[in-house]
Amino acid sequence: MNSTPRLLNRVLIGILGLQLLAVGILLMLLATVPAVGIWWKAWSGGVWDAANRLFEGTRFPGRPESWLWIVLALVLILLIGLMVAWVAQQGKGRSDLLLAAEDPGGVPGDVRIGGGVAEQALKNALAERPDLAGASVTTYEVRGQPALKIRLHPRPGVAPHLLAADASALAAALDQVVGQRTPVLVHIASGARSRFSRAERVR
Amino acid sequence: MSSVIEQQHPAGEEPGNAAEPAQAESFDMRRVLDRETHSSRAAAAGIAAVVVILFSLYGLLESAVRAIGQPPWLIDPQTAAERIVALPNGIPPLLLGVTGAVVTAVGLFFFLSAILPGRRARHLLEEPRIAVVVDDEVIASALARRARLVANVMPEQVMVVVSQRHAVVNVRPTSGVPVSENAIREAVEDELRAMAPIPMPAVRVNLATSGVIGA
Repeated sequence: MNSTPRLLNRVLIGILGLQLLAVGILLMLLATVPAVGIWWKAWSGGVWDAANRLFEGTRFPGRPESWLWIVLALVLILLIGLMVAWVAQQGKGRSDLLLAAEDPGGVPGDVRIGGGVAEQALKNALAERPDLAGASVTTYEVRGQPALKIRLHPRPGVAPHLLAADASALAAALDQVVGQRTPVLVHIASGARSRFSRAERVR
Repeated sequence: MSSVIEQQHPAGEEPGNAAEPAQAESFDMRRVLDRETHSSRAAAAGIAAVVVILFSLYGLLESAVRAIGQPPWLIDPQTAAERIVALPNGIPPLLLGVTGAVVTAVGLFFFLSAILPGRRARHLLEEPRIAVVVDDEVIASALARRARLVANVMPEQVMVVVSQRHAVVNVRPTSGVPVSENAIREAVEDELRAMAPIPMPAVRVNLATSGVIGA
């Protein structure tokens, strides 16, 4: 439900994976096949010579260092910045607004309902249930629209379709209160919390 | 003046209703469910970013040190490059091979997590008002409870594994107490029918040939 950039994740992970694969296979071949060693020495030697010539040609006037080192440092800083930006994109999309509408009445202004309203209401409605080990409600913004995600942690053995029906009734009640049909996703999840909680005895 | 009244009137009649269906239809729940049943690869992305950042930081340090003409921290880039060019020599082949194998394994991990579909162990439930995803473990736990009640055994004697298209029910009966495989199958299928997960798993019941004593 969040806005994690999935395609970008796949592409970037794939690129990194391919590069590591190539390096790893090359290293293994170098260790085992002598012919590859000969080829490697010729090829990488050529590349190294070209790089050396490039560094020779880009020296600061009157100093032994090349300004390419500074360019290299800047490129690396840029790369680090991009990586940080990429990580920051993961799991984004939480919002705290359930409804923002223009008030059609005579009073000037508009109406905003915070996501906390739905979160608190649903959490309270679910808190007392004996068949749940825990529940959490979060508001997300999916393509500019508010949506609710309800995560339920049932105790062992609880039938999920009955839970889903109850959650559906709760969502309908919420629609009545808010006056707007909010998209709701219910995730009935397993996890340490439901696995190690004791089973519900009476139902 | 009249235009103001006209504006107010139709809007005042139906405050919420006008916005409701539009809101519900334009929302793409199918896409949300598709994302919910597939991995986002956020963890792999985080690891990849950290790996790249660490390498970049080290490269940055060495190139900055080099740019201002200071002695290198671990290894001078020039020496490093010369050693890489001379590679099969200067390092034991075993170490080189093992390093290569480790790098290949890490690369394979990233590559596979990028190209595989990354399906999560989840099913969908049909519900008119809301969208529902259920972890397979929850389904298995519900089926196990039903099977346990029918077979009249302890919870430890039943193990259910639910995958995308199969639900395998393993039961170890109590020694001396007969258990009907058909009854278990019918009960589990009945439970699955009521649950109606998408896609529907096919039930297989395995009764262990040896029983449990004293349960």
